[in-house]
Amino acid sequence: MIEATDLRKQYRSTAALDGFSLRVEAGEIVGLVGPNGAGKTTLIKILATLLRHDSGRAAIAGHDVVGQPRAVRAVLGYLPDVPGLYSDMRVAEFFEFFADAFHIKGGRRAAAVERALARSGLSARRDEFVEHLSLGMKQKLVLARTLLHEPRVLLLDEPATGLDPLARIELRELIKALNCEGVTILISSHILSDLEDICTRIVLISAGRNITDDAQLASGAPNKTLVCEIEFLGDADAVLQSVRAAAAARVVNSSGQHVRVEVQGGREEASALLRFLVGQGVRIVRFDPREASLEDRYREVFGGPAA
Amino acid sequence: MNPMIRKELRQRMRERRAWILPTLYLGVLGGVVALTYYVSTEGSFESAFRPARDIQGSAIGAAVFLAVIMSQLALLMLLAPIFSAGAITIEKEQRTLAGLLTSLLTPFQIWAGKFTAAMMFLVLLLISSVPVLALCFSLGGVGWSDVAAAFGMTLAILASIGAIGLYCSSYFRRSVHSTAVCYAVVIAISVLTAIAAYMLASSWQARHPVTQAAQIQPNPPGYLMAPLYLNPFYALISVFAPREGKVPTWAKCLALFLAMTVLFSLLAIQNIKRRGEQA
Repeated sequence: MIEATDLRKQYRSTAALDGFSLRVEAGEIVGLVGPNGAGKTTLIKILATLLRHDSGRAAIAGHDVVGQPRAVRAVLGYLPDVPGLYSDMRVAEFFEFFADAFHIKGGRRAAAVERALARSGLSARRDEFVEHLSLGMKQKLVLARTLLHEPRVLLLDEPATGLDPLARIELRELIKALNCEGVTILISSHILSDLEDICTRIVLISAGRNITDDAQLASGAPNKTLVCEIEFLGDADAVLQSVRAAAAARVVNSSGQHVRVEVQGGREEASALLRFLVGQGVRIVRFDPREASLEDRYREVFGGPAA
Repeated sequence: MNPMIRKELRQRMRERRAWILPTLYLGVLGGVVALTYYVSTEGSFESAFRPARDIQGSAIGAAVFLAVIMSQLALLMLLAPIFSAGAITIEKEQRTLAGLLTSLLTPFQIWAGKFTAAMMFLVLLLISSVPVLALCFSLGGVGWSDVAAAFGMTLAILASIGAIGLYCSSYFRRSVHSTAVCYAVVIAISVLTAIAAYMLASSWQARHPVTQAAQIQPNPPGYLMAPLYLNPFYALISVFAPREGKVPTWAKCLALFLAMTVLFSLLAIQNIKRRGEQA
Protein backbone atom coordinates (compact mmCIF):
# COMPACT_ATOMS: atom_id res chain seq x y z
CA MET A 1 0.00 0.00 0.00
CA ILE A 2 2.94 2.32 0.75
CA GLU A 3 6.11 1.81 -1.23
CA ALA A 4 9.36 3.72 -1.05
CA THR A 5 12.32 2.46 -3.03
CA ASP A 6 15.81 3.91 -2.69
CA LEU A 7 14.50 7.41 -1.96
CA ARG A 8 17.05 10.20 -1.91
CA LYS A 9 16.49 13.81 -0.98
CA GLN A 10 19.21 16.39 -0.54
CA TYR A 11 18.84 19.78 1.19
CA ARG A 12 21.92 21.70 0.08
CA SER A 13 24.80 19.73 1.66
CA THR A 14 22.60 17.57 3.91
CA ALA A 15 21.13 14.27 2.79
CA ALA A 16 17.68 14.11 4.40
CA LEU A 17 17.00 10.74 2.78
CA ASP A 18 19.87 8.56 1.67
CA GLY A 19 18.48 5.56 -0.17
CA PHE A 20 15.50 4.95 2.12
CA SER A 21 13.33 1.95 1.25
CA LEU A 22 10.11 0.80 2.88
CA ARG A 23 7.13 -1.36 2.03
CA VAL A 24 3.91 -1.21 4.05
CA GLU A 25 1.26 -3.80 3.26
CA ALA A 26 -2.47 -3.07 3.33
CA GLY A 27 -3.90 -3.13 6.84
CA GLU A 28 -0.58 -2.56 8.64
CA ILE A 29 0.13 0.13 11.22
CA VAL A 30 3.80 0.91 10.88
CA GLY A 31 5.63 3.13 13.36
CA LEU A 32 8.45 5.27 12.03
CA VAL A 33 11.03 5.84 14.73
CA GLY A 34 14.25 7.80 14.73
CA PRO A 35 15.98 10.77 16.30
CA ASN A 36 15.26 14.36 15.27
CA GLY A 37 16.66 15.10 11.81
CA ALA A 38 16.65 11.42 10.81
CA GLY A 39 14.39 12.14 7.81
CA LYS A 40 10.97 11.11 9.13
CA THR A 41 9.13 14.30 8.20
CA THR A 42 10.88 14.49 4.82
CA LEU A 43 9.78 10.92 4.05
CA ILE A 44 6.20 11.62 5.08
CA LYS A 45 6.11 14.86 3.08
CA ILE A 46 7.36 13.03 -0.01
CA LEU A 47 4.69 10.35 0.42
CA ALA A 48 2.09 13.10 0.93
CA THR A 49 3.09 14.65 -2.46
CA LEU A 50 4.32 17.84 -0.77
CA LEU A 51 7.99 17.33 -1.52
CA ARG A 52 9.77 15.96 -4.56
CA HIS A 53 12.51 13.42 -4.02
CA ASP A 54 15.73 13.65 -6.00
CA SER A 55 15.75 9.99 -7.00
CA GLY A 56 14.08 6.70 -6.21
CA ARG A 57 10.39 5.87 -6.33
CA ALA A 58 7.49 6.37 -3.97
CA ALA A 59 3.94 5.13 -4.45
CA ILE A 60 0.70 5.04 -2.46
CA ALA A 61 -1.89 2.40 -3.35
CA GLY A 62 -0.01 1.79 -6.57
CA HIS A 63 -0.06 5.47 -7.63
CA ASP A 64 3.28 7.18 -8.13
CA VAL A 65 3.51 10.26 -5.88
CA VAL A 66 5.15 12.33 -8.62
CA GLY A 67 3.33 11.03 -11.69
CA GLN A 68 -0.17 10.72 -10.19
CA PRO A 69 -0.32 13.12 -7.23
CA ARG A 70 -4.10 13.66 -7.48
CA ALA A 71 -4.78 9.93 -7.40
CA VAL A 72 -2.53 9.70 -4.34
CA ARG A 73 -4.29 12.62 -2.58
CA ALA A 74 -7.68 11.04 -3.21
CA VAL A 75 -6.77 7.98 -1.11
CA LEU A 76 -4.45 9.64 1.37
CA GLY A 77 -5.01 11.41 4.68
CA TYR A 78 -2.07 13.47 5.90
CA LEU A 79 -1.73 14.93 9.37
CA PRO A 80 1.33 17.21 9.58
CA ASP A 81 3.49 17.59 12.68
CA VAL A 82 2.20 21.13 13.25
CA PRO A 83 -1.27 21.18 11.75
CA GLY A 84 -2.74 24.57 10.91
CA LEU A 85 -6.29 25.78 11.32
CA TYR A 86 -8.39 28.64 10.04
CA SER A 87 -9.20 30.27 13.35
CA ASP A 88 -11.67 32.71 11.76
CA MET A 89 -13.85 29.90 10.39
CA ARG A 90 -16.71 28.20 12.19
CA VAL A 91 -16.27 24.49 12.95
CA ALA A 92 -18.89 23.34 10.42
CA GLU A 93 -17.56 25.75 7.78
CA PHE A 94 -14.11 24.28 8.27
CA PHE A 95 -15.35 20.78 7.49
CA GLU A 96 -17.54 22.03 4.63
CA PHE A 97 -14.55 23.74 3.02
CA PHE A 98 -12.46 20.58 3.10
CA ALA A 99 -15.40 18.48 1.89
CA ASP A 100 -15.54 20.81 -1.13
CA ALA A 101 -11.76 20.67 -1.48
CA PHE A 102 -12.02 16.87 -1.76
CA HIS A 103 -14.89 17.15 -4.25
CA ILE A 104 -17.38 15.49 -1.89
CA LYS A 105 -20.73 16.54 -3.30
CA GLY A 106 -24.45 16.37 -2.63
CA GLY A 107 -25.74 14.11 0.13
CA ARG A 108 -22.26 12.67 0.68
CA ARG A 109 -21.03 16.14 1.61
CA ALA A 110 -23.58 16.66 4.36
CA ALA A 111 -22.98 13.12 5.64
CA ALA A 112 -19.20 13.60 5.63
CA VAL A 113 -19.51 16.87 7.56
CA GLU A 114 -21.84 15.30 10.15
CA ARG A 115 -19.50 12.32 10.50
CA ALA A 116 -16.53 14.63 11.02
CA LEU A 117 -18.46 16.67 13.59
CA ALA A 118 -19.37 13.50 15.45
CA ARG A 119 -15.85 12.07 15.24
CA SER A 120 -14.34 15.27 16.63
CA GLY A 121 -17.04 15.50 19.31
CA LEU A 122 -17.87 19.01 18.14
CA SER A 123 -21.45 18.53 16.91
CA ALA A 124 -22.77 20.80 19.63
CA ARG A 125 -20.17 23.45 18.83
CA ARG A 126 -20.56 23.45 15.05
CA ASP A 127 -21.25 27.20 14.88
CA GLU A 128 -18.38 28.23 17.13
CA PHE A 129 -15.28 29.83 15.72
CA VAL A 130 -12.26 27.53 15.63
CA GLU A 131 -10.18 30.04 17.61
CA HIS A 132 -12.42 29.48 20.65
CA LEU A 133 -11.60 25.73 20.84
CA SER A 134 -9.08 24.26 23.27
CA LEU A 135 -5.83 22.73 21.98
CA GLY A 136 -7.19 19.19 22.39
CA MET A 137 -10.37 20.12 20.53
CA LYS A 138 -8.33 21.66 17.74
CA GLN A 139 -6.27 18.48 17.45
CA LYS A 140 -9.48 16.44 17.17
CA LEU A 141 -10.77 18.89 14.58
CA VAL A 142 -7.65 18.46 12.45
CA LEU A 143 -7.74 14.69 12.77
CA ALA A 144 -11.42 14.61 11.78
CA ARG A 145 -10.59 16.83 8.80
CA THR A 146 -7.82 14.37 7.79
CA LEU A 147 -10.40 11.55 7.80
CA LEU A 148 -13.15 13.56 6.09
CA HIS A 149 -12.73 11.94 2.66
CA GLU A 150 -12.35 8.44 4.15
CA PRO A 151 -8.75 7.84 3.10
CA ARG A 152 -7.39 4.31 2.67
CA VAL A 153 -3.92 5.35 3.78
CA LEU A 154 -3.03 7.63 6.68
CA LEU A 155 0.26 9.42 7.18
CA LEU A 156 0.48 10.75 10.72
CA ASP A 157 3.46 12.91 11.64
CA GLU A 158 3.72 13.25 15.43
CA PRO A 159 -0.06 13.13 15.94
CA ALA A 160 0.12 13.08 19.74
CA THR A 161 2.03 16.33 20.09
CA GLY A 162 0.33 18.60 22.62
CA LEU A 163 -2.34 16.07 23.61
CA ASP A 164 -3.14 15.37 27.25
CA PRO A 165 -3.01 11.71 28.43
CA LEU A 166 -6.74 11.13 27.91
CA ALA A 167 -6.66 12.59 24.42
CA ARG A 168 -3.64 10.40 23.66
CA ILE A 169 -5.57 7.31 24.75
CA GLU A 170 -8.51 8.39 22.56
CA LEU A 171 -6.15 8.89 19.64
CA ARG A 172 -4.66 5.42 20.10
CA GLU A 173 -8.14 3.88 20.18
CA LEU A 174 -9.15 5.83 17.08
CA ILE A 175 -6.05 4.66 15.20
CA LYS A 176 -6.77 1.05 16.18
CA ALA A 177 -10.42 1.44 15.10
CA LEU A 178 -9.41 2.91 11.76
CA ASN A 179 -6.98 0.06 11.24
CA CYS A 180 -9.78 -2.41 11.95
CA GLU A 181 -11.74 -0.66 9.16
CA GLY A 182 -8.85 -1.50 6.81
CA VAL A 183 -6.97 1.81 6.83
CA THR A 184 -3.21 1.43 6.36
CA ILE A 185 -1.27 3.74 8.66
CA LEU A 186 2.27 5.07 8.75
CA ILE A 187 2.84 6.96 11.96
CA SER A 188 5.88 8.89 13.11
CA SER A 189 6.17 9.55 16.82
CA HIS A 190 8.63 9.99 19.65
CA ILE A 191 6.18 8.45 22.12
CA LEU A 192 7.53 4.91 21.90
CA SER A 193 5.08 3.37 24.35
CA ASP A 194 2.16 4.52 22.16
CA LEU A 195 3.78 3.06 19.06
CA GLU A 196 4.49 -0.19 20.87
CA ASP A 197 0.82 -0.38 21.80
CA ILE A 198 -0.69 0.22 18.37
CA CYS A 199 1.85 -0.67 15.69
CA THR A 200 2.08 -3.98 13.93
CA ARG A 201 5.66 -3.16 12.95
CA ILE A 202 8.35 -0.62 13.75
CA VAL A 203 10.72 0.89 11.20
CA LEU A 204 13.90 2.57 12.42
CA ILE A 205 15.25 5.52 10.46
CA SER A 206 18.61 7.14 10.94
CA ALA A 207 20.48 9.62 8.73
CA GLY A 208 17.90 9.10 5.99
CA ARG A 209 18.26 5.31 5.86
CA ASN A 210 16.00 2.48 6.94
CA ILE A 211 18.18 0.79 9.54
CA THR A 212 15.59 -1.71 10.77
CA ASP A 213 17.40 -4.61 9.10
CA ASP A 214 20.85 -3.41 10.27
CA ALA A 215 19.57 -3.08 13.82
CA GLN A 216 18.10 -6.56 13.68
CA LEU A 217 21.39 -7.97 12.38
CA ALA A 218 23.39 -6.16 15.05
CA SER A 219 21.21 -7.50 17.84
CA GLY A 220 20.81 -10.95 16.35
CA ALA A 221 17.09 -10.42 15.58
CA PRO A 222 14.65 -11.31 14.00
CA ASN A 223 14.86 -14.05 16.68
CA LYS A 224 13.09 -13.11 19.89
CA THR A 225 15.22 -11.14 22.33
CA LEU A 226 14.90 -10.99 26.10
CA VAL A 227 16.49 -8.42 28.36
CA CYS A 228 17.58 -9.77 31.78
CA GLU A 229 18.11 -7.45 34.71
CA ILE A 230 20.56 -9.22 37.05
CA GLU A 231 21.54 -8.12 40.56
CA PHE A 232 24.35 -9.97 42.26
CA LEU A 233 26.73 -10.00 45.21
CA GLY A 234 30.51 -10.07 45.00
CA ASP A 235 33.11 -8.89 42.49
CA ALA A 236 31.50 -7.19 39.49
CA ASP A 237 34.40 -7.84 37.11
CA ALA A 238 34.26 -11.57 37.74
CA VAL A 239 30.49 -11.62 37.19
CA LEU A 240 30.79 -9.65 33.95
CA GLN A 241 33.46 -12.08 32.78
CA SER A 242 31.10 -14.98 33.49
CA VAL A 243 28.23 -13.32 31.64
CA ARG A 244 30.42 -12.66 28.63
CA ALA A 245 31.43 -16.30 28.62
CA ALA A 246 27.78 -17.39 28.39
CA ALA A 247 26.38 -18.39 25.01
CA ALA A 248 23.68 -16.16 23.40
CA ALA A 249 24.15 -13.42 26.00
CA ARG A 250 25.39 -9.89 25.50
CA VAL A 251 26.07 -7.28 28.17
CA VAL A 252 24.03 -4.17 27.39
CA ASN A 253 25.31 -2.15 30.33
CA SER A 254 26.35 -2.54 33.93
CA SER A 255 26.73 -0.45 37.06
CA GLY A 256 27.81 -1.57 40.52
CA GLN A 257 26.11 -4.82 41.45
CA HIS A 258 23.75 -4.69 38.50
CA VAL A 259 24.10 -5.89 34.94
CA ARG A 260 21.71 -5.73 32.03
CA VAL A 261 22.05 -8.62 29.61
CA GLU A 262 20.41 -9.25 26.26
CA VAL A 263 19.62 -12.90 25.63
CA GLN A 264 18.90 -14.24 22.16
CA GLY A 265 15.90 -16.50 22.38
CA GLY A 266 13.09 -17.01 24.87
CA ARG A 267 12.64 -18.12 28.47
CA GLU A 268 14.54 -21.39 27.87
CA GLU A 269 17.68 -19.47 26.95
CA ALA A 270 17.20 -17.14 29.92
CA SER A 271 16.89 -20.12 32.21
CA ALA A 272 20.05 -21.61 30.69
CA LEU A 273 21.88 -18.35 31.38
CA LEU A 274 20.74 -18.38 35.00
CA ARG A 275 21.91 -22.00 35.43
CA PHE A 276 25.22 -21.15 33.78
CA LEU A 277 25.87 -18.17 36.06
CA VAL A 278 24.93 -20.11 39.20
CA GLY A 279 27.22 -22.88 38.00
CA GLN A 280 30.00 -20.30 37.65
CA GLY A 281 29.50 -19.39 41.32
CA VAL A 282 27.78 -16.05 40.76
CA ARG A 283 25.63 -15.12 43.79
CA ILE A 284 22.44 -13.84 42.15
CA VAL A 285 19.86 -11.92 44.22
CA ARG A 286 17.57 -10.92 41.34
CA PHE A 287 17.14 -12.33 37.84
CA ASP A 288 14.37 -10.61 35.85
CA PRO A 289 13.97 -11.60 32.20
CA ARG A 290 11.50 -9.64 30.07
CA GLU A 291 10.93 -8.99 26.39
CA ALA A 292 13.01 -6.14 24.96
CA SER A 293 10.80 -3.04 24.72
CA LEU A 294 10.88 -0.59 21.86
CA GLU A 295 12.59 1.80 24.24
CA ASP A 296 15.32 -0.79 24.85
CA ARG A 297 15.73 -1.28 21.15
CA TYR A 298 15.77 2.46 20.50
CA ARG A 299 18.36 3.01 23.22
CA GLU A 300 20.49 0.24 21.83
CA VAL A 301 20.36 1.49 18.25
CA PHE A 302 20.52 5.23 18.79
CA GLY A 303 22.38 5.31 22.12
CA GLY A 304 21.28 7.10 25.28
CA PRO A 305 21.27 6.52 29.03
CA ALA A 306 20.48 3.08 30.40
CA ALA A 307 17.21 2.50 32.18
CA MET B 1 -17.98 27.67 -7.34
CA ASN B 2 -14.29 27.22 -6.51
CA PRO B 3 -14.27 26.46 -2.75
CA MET B 4 -11.16 28.61 -2.34
CA ILE B 5 -13.00 31.68 -3.62
CA ARG B 6 -15.89 31.10 -1.19
CA LYS B 7 -13.50 30.55 1.70
CA GLU B 8 -11.37 33.59 0.89
CA LEU B 9 -14.31 35.94 0.45
CA ARG B 10 -15.91 34.73 3.68
CA GLN B 11 -12.69 35.17 5.65
CA ARG B 12 -11.91 38.54 4.07
CA MET B 13 -15.33 40.00 4.84
CA ARG B 14 -14.98 38.89 8.47
CA GLU B 15 -11.85 40.97 8.94
CA ARG B 16 -12.16 44.32 10.65
CA ARG B 17 -10.45 45.99 7.70
CA ALA B 18 -13.40 44.93 5.52
CA TRP B 19 -15.27 48.01 6.77
CA ILE B 20 -12.42 50.19 8.02
CA LEU B 21 -10.62 50.36 4.67
CA PRO B 22 -13.65 51.39 2.54
CA THR B 23 -14.46 54.06 5.14
CA LEU B 24 -10.95 55.51 5.07
CA TYR B 25 -10.75 55.16 1.30
CA LEU B 26 -13.97 57.07 0.68
CA GLY B 27 -12.96 59.65 3.27
CA VAL B 28 -9.72 60.34 1.42
CA LEU B 29 -11.46 60.47 -1.96
CA GLY B 30 -14.05 62.87 -0.55
CA GLY B 31 -11.19 65.07 0.66
CA VAL B 32 -9.60 64.99 -2.78
CA VAL B 33 -12.87 66.08 -4.41
CA ALA B 34 -13.29 68.96 -1.96
CA LEU B 35 -9.70 70.09 -2.37
CA THR B 36 -9.76 69.89 -6.17
CA TYR B 37 -13.04 71.75 -6.34
CA TYR B 38 -11.65 74.41 -4.04
CA VAL B 39 -8.43 74.80 -6.03
CA SER B 40 -10.12 74.77 -9.44
CA THR B 41 -12.50 77.53 -8.42
CA GLU B 42 -9.60 80.02 -7.94
CA GLY B 43 -8.68 78.77 -4.56
CA SER B 44 -10.89 80.95 -2.38
CA PHE B 45 -13.52 79.55 -0.07
CA GLU B 46 -16.00 82.18 -1.16
CA SER B 47 -15.51 81.50 -4.84
CA ALA B 48 -15.89 77.80 -4.27
CA PHE B 49 -19.59 78.41 -3.81
CA ARG B 50 -19.80 81.17 -6.38
CA PRO B 51 -17.39 80.20 -9.18
CA ALA B 52 -15.94 82.95 -11.31
CA ARG B 53 -17.81 83.43 -14.56
CA ASP B 54 -14.87 82.52 -16.77
CA ILE B 55 -14.58 79.03 -15.24
CA GLN B 56 -16.74 76.47 -16.99
CA GLY B 57 -18.48 73.81 -14.90
CA SER B 58 -17.20 71.21 -17.36
CA ALA B 59 -13.59 72.26 -16.69
CA ILE B 60 -14.15 71.84 -12.98
CA GLY B 61 -15.81 68.48 -13.60
CA ALA B 62 -12.86 67.27 -15.69
CA ALA B 63 -10.36 68.50 -13.08
CA VAL B 64 -12.22 66.77 -10.25
CA PHE B 65 -12.54 63.61 -12.33
CA LEU B 66 -8.82 63.47 -13.12
CA ALA B 67 -7.89 64.18 -9.51
CA VAL B 68 -10.24 61.47 -8.27
CA ILE B 69 -9.12 58.73 -10.69
CA MET B 70 -5.43 59.49 -10.08
CA SER B 71 -5.87 59.54 -6.30
CA GLN B 72 -7.98 56.41 -6.55
CA LEU B 73 -5.24 54.64 -8.49
CA ALA B 74 -2.59 55.73 -5.98
CA LEU B 75 -4.70 54.54 -3.03
CA LEU B 76 -5.60 51.22 -4.63
CA MET B 77 -1.97 50.62 -5.59
CA LEU B 78 -1.08 51.09 -1.94
CA LEU B 79 -3.82 48.68 -0.87
CA ALA B 80 -3.31 45.98 -3.51
CA PRO B 81 -0.13 44.52 -1.92
CA ILE B 82 -1.92 44.27 1.45
CA PHE B 83 -4.54 41.98 -0.09
CA SER B 84 -2.31 39.98 -2.41
CA ALA B 85 1.22 39.82 -1.00
CA GLY B 86 0.12 38.14 2.22
CA ALA B 87 -2.44 35.82 0.68
CA ILE B 88 -0.30 32.67 0.37
CA THR B 89 2.31 33.50 3.01
CA ILE B 90 -0.48 33.59 5.59
CA GLU B 91 -1.25 29.96 4.71
CA LYS B 92 2.43 29.15 5.29
CA GLU B 93 2.57 31.13 8.53
CA GLN B 94 -0.54 29.52 10.00
CA ARG B 95 0.58 26.10 8.66
CA THR B 96 -2.55 25.55 6.57
CA LEU B 97 -0.87 25.30 3.17
CA ALA B 98 -0.17 21.57 3.61
CA GLY B 99 -3.91 20.95 4.05
CA LEU B 100 -4.64 22.75 0.77
CA LEU B 101 -1.83 21.11 -1.18
CA THR B 102 -2.77 17.60 -0.06
CA SER B 103 -6.43 18.11 -0.95
CA LEU B 104 -7.82 17.76 -4.47
CA LEU B 105 -7.59 21.51 -5.04
CA THR B 106 -5.30 22.29 -7.97
CA PRO B 107 -2.59 24.95 -7.68
CA PHE B 108 -4.64 26.98 -10.17
CA GLN B 109 -7.73 26.77 -7.94
CA ILE B 110 -5.70 27.89 -4.92
CA TRP B 111 -4.24 30.78 -6.90
CA ALA B 112 -7.63 31.70 -8.41
CA GLY B 113 -9.24 31.81 -4.96
CA LYS B 114 -6.56 34.13 -3.63
CA PHE B 115 -6.49 36.32 -6.75
CA THR B 116 -10.26 36.63 -7.01
CA ALA B 117 -10.63 37.53 -3.32
CA ALA B 118 -7.93 40.20 -3.59
CA MET B 119 -9.42 41.64 -6.77
CA MET B 120 -13.00 41.50 -5.48
CA PHE B 121 -12.11 43.73 -2.57
CA LEU B 122 -10.30 46.19 -4.82
CA VAL B 123 -13.28 46.17 -7.20
CA LEU B 124 -15.56 46.83 -4.23
CA LEU B 125 -13.47 49.89 -3.35
CA LEU B 126 -13.45 50.98 -6.98
CA ILE B 127 -17.23 50.70 -7.25
CA SER B 128 -17.75 52.42 -3.93
CA SER B 129 -16.15 55.52 -5.44
CA VAL B 130 -18.84 55.82 -8.12
CA PRO B 131 -21.00 58.16 -6.00
CA VAL B 132 -17.97 60.40 -5.54
CA LEU B 133 -17.43 60.45 -9.29
CA ALA B 134 -21.13 61.23 -9.81
CA LEU B 135 -20.30 64.75 -8.72
CA CYS B 136 -18.28 65.13 -11.92
CA PHE B 137 -21.36 64.26 -14.00
CA SER B 138 -23.29 67.03 -12.32
CA LEU B 139 -20.54 69.46 -13.31
CA GLY B 140 -20.22 68.12 -16.85
CA GLY B 141 -17.13 67.58 -18.98
CA VAL B 142 -17.02 63.85 -18.24
CA GLY B 143 -18.97 61.03 -19.82
CA TRP B 144 -19.71 57.45 -18.84
CA SER B 145 -17.22 56.27 -21.46
CA ASP B 146 -14.44 58.21 -19.68
CA VAL B 147 -15.36 56.58 -16.38
CA ALA B 148 -15.49 53.12 -17.98
CA ALA B 149 -12.11 53.65 -19.69
CA ALA B 150 -10.52 54.86 -16.45
CA PHE B 151 -11.98 51.98 -14.46
CA GLY B 152 -10.87 49.46 -17.10
CA MET B 153 -7.27 50.67 -17.09
CA THR B 154 -7.25 50.91 -13.29
CA LEU B 155 -8.45 47.32 -13.06
CA ALA B 156 -5.77 46.12 -15.49
CA ILE B 157 -3.08 47.87 -13.43
CA LEU B 158 -4.45 46.48 -10.16
CA ALA B 159 -4.65 42.99 -11.64
CA SER B 160 -0.97 43.11 -12.53
CA ILE B 161 -0.02 44.37 -9.05
CA GLY B 162 -2.24 41.67 -7.54
CA ALA B 163 -0.51 39.04 -9.67
CA ILE B 164 2.92 40.36 -8.64
CA GLY B 165 1.82 40.34 -4.99
CA LEU B 166 0.62 36.75 -5.26
CA TYR B 167 3.86 35.74 -6.95
CA CYS B 168 5.86 37.30 -4.08
CA SER B 169 3.52 35.56 -1.64
CA SER B 170 4.09 32.20 -3.31
CA TYR B 171 7.86 32.72 -3.28
CA PHE B 172 8.57 34.02 0.21
CA ARG B 173 7.85 32.31 3.53
CA ARG B 174 6.84 35.40 5.48
CA SER B 175 4.24 38.06 4.71
CA VAL B 176 6.54 40.88 5.79
CA HIS B 177 9.15 39.98 3.14
CA SER B 178 6.59 39.36 0.46
CA THR B 179 4.77 42.65 1.13
CA ALA B 180 8.02 44.64 1.25
CA VAL B 181 9.14 43.28 -2.13
CA CYS B 182 5.71 43.92 -3.65
CA TYR B 183 5.78 47.54 -2.45
CA ALA B 184 9.30 47.88 -3.89
CA VAL B 185 7.92 46.75 -7.27
CA VAL B 186 5.00 49.20 -7.01
CA ILE B 187 7.43 52.05 -6.28
CA ALA B 188 9.72 50.92 -9.08
CA ILE B 189 7.00 50.96 -11.72
CA SER B 190 5.49 54.22 -10.43
CA VAL B 191 8.64 56.26 -9.85
CA LEU B 192 11.65 54.60 -11.45
CA THR B 193 9.96 54.27 -14.85
CA ALA B 194 9.23 58.01 -14.86
CA ILE B 195 12.82 58.83 -13.84
CA ALA B 196 14.19 56.44 -16.47
CA ALA B 197 12.04 57.99 -19.22
CA TYR B 198 13.01 61.51 -18.15
CA MET B 199 16.72 60.64 -18.14
CA LEU B 200 16.54 58.94 -21.53
CA ALA B 201 14.69 61.92 -23.03
CA SER B 202 17.09 64.45 -21.46
CA SER B 203 20.10 62.53 -22.69
CA TRP B 204 18.61 62.39 -26.20
CA GLN B 205 17.86 66.11 -26.16
CA ALA B 206 21.39 66.89 -25.02
CA ARG B 207 22.67 65.04 -28.06
CA HIS B 208 20.16 66.83 -30.34
CA PRO B 209 20.42 70.52 -29.49
CA VAL B 210 18.16 73.17 -30.99
CA THR B 211 19.38 74.12 -34.45
CA GLN B 212 19.30 77.68 -35.68
CA ALA B 213 17.39 76.59 -38.77
CA ALA B 214 14.66 74.76 -36.87
CA GLN B 215 14.51 77.08 -33.85
CA ILE B 216 12.57 74.49 -31.97
CA GLN B 217 13.59 71.55 -29.82
CA PRO B 218 12.83 68.28 -31.68
CA ASN B 219 10.72 65.73 -29.83
CA PRO B 220 12.58 62.60 -28.70
CA PRO B 221 11.60 59.41 -30.53
CA GLY B 222 8.72 57.42 -29.07
CA TYR B 223 10.77 54.35 -28.08
CA LEU B 224 12.63 56.45 -25.50
CA MET B 225 9.32 56.80 -23.67
CA ALA B 226 8.92 53.00 -23.50
CA PRO B 227 9.63 52.80 -19.72
CA LEU B 228 6.56 54.98 -19.22
CA TYR B 229 4.33 52.28 -20.69
CA LEU B 230 4.89 50.45 -17.41
CA ASN B 231 4.04 53.52 -15.36
CA PRO B 232 0.52 53.16 -13.92
CA PHE B 233 -0.20 56.90 -13.84
CA TYR B 234 1.02 57.40 -17.41
CA ALA B 235 -1.06 54.40 -18.47
CA LEU B 236 -4.17 55.87 -16.87
CA ILE B 237 -3.66 59.31 -18.40
CA SER B 238 -2.96 57.74 -21.78
CA VAL B 239 -6.59 56.60 -21.90
CA PHE B 240 -7.62 60.24 -22.44
CA ALA B 241 -4.71 61.24 -24.72
CA PRO B 242 -5.38 61.88 -28.42
CA ARG B 243 -4.47 58.92 -30.61
CA GLU B 244 -0.98 58.99 -32.17
CA GLY B 245 0.32 56.33 -34.54
CA LYS B 246 -1.16 52.99 -35.49
CA VAL B 247 -1.37 51.58 -31.98
CA PRO B 248 -2.66 53.99 -29.34
CA THR B 249 -0.48 54.45 -26.26
CA TRP B 250 -3.17 53.15 -23.92
CA ALA B 251 -3.28 49.89 -25.88
CA LYS B 252 0.49 49.42 -25.50
CA CYS B 253 0.23 50.09 -21.76
CA LEU B 254 -2.76 47.78 -21.40
CA ALA B 255 -0.96 45.00 -23.30
CA LEU B 256 2.07 45.34 -21.02
CA PHE B 257 0.01 45.22 -17.82
CA LEU B 258 -1.99 42.25 -19.07
CA ALA B 259 1.24 40.47 -20.08
CA MET B 260 2.64 41.08 -16.58
CA THR B 261 -0.55 39.71 -15.05
CA VAL B 262 -0.35 36.52 -17.12
CA LEU B 263 3.39 36.06 -16.56
CA PHE B 264 3.30 36.52 -12.77
CA SER B 265 0.15 34.41 -12.47
CA LEU B 266 1.82 31.51 -14.25
CA LEU B 267 4.94 31.89 -12.10
CA ALA B 268 2.84 31.99 -8.93
CA ILE B 269 0.94 28.83 -9.93
CA GLN B 270 4.25 27.08 -10.63
CA ASN B 271 5.53 28.20 -7.22
CA ILE B 272 2.43 26.91 -5.42
CA LYS B 273 2.99 23.57 -7.14
CA ARG B 274 6.63 23.41 -6.06
CA ARG B 275 6.58 25.00 -2.61
CA GLY B 276 5.53 21.93 -0.65
CA GLU B 277 8.64 22.24 1.52
CA GLN B 278 7.29 25.54 2.83
CA ALA B 279 4.00 23.90 3.79
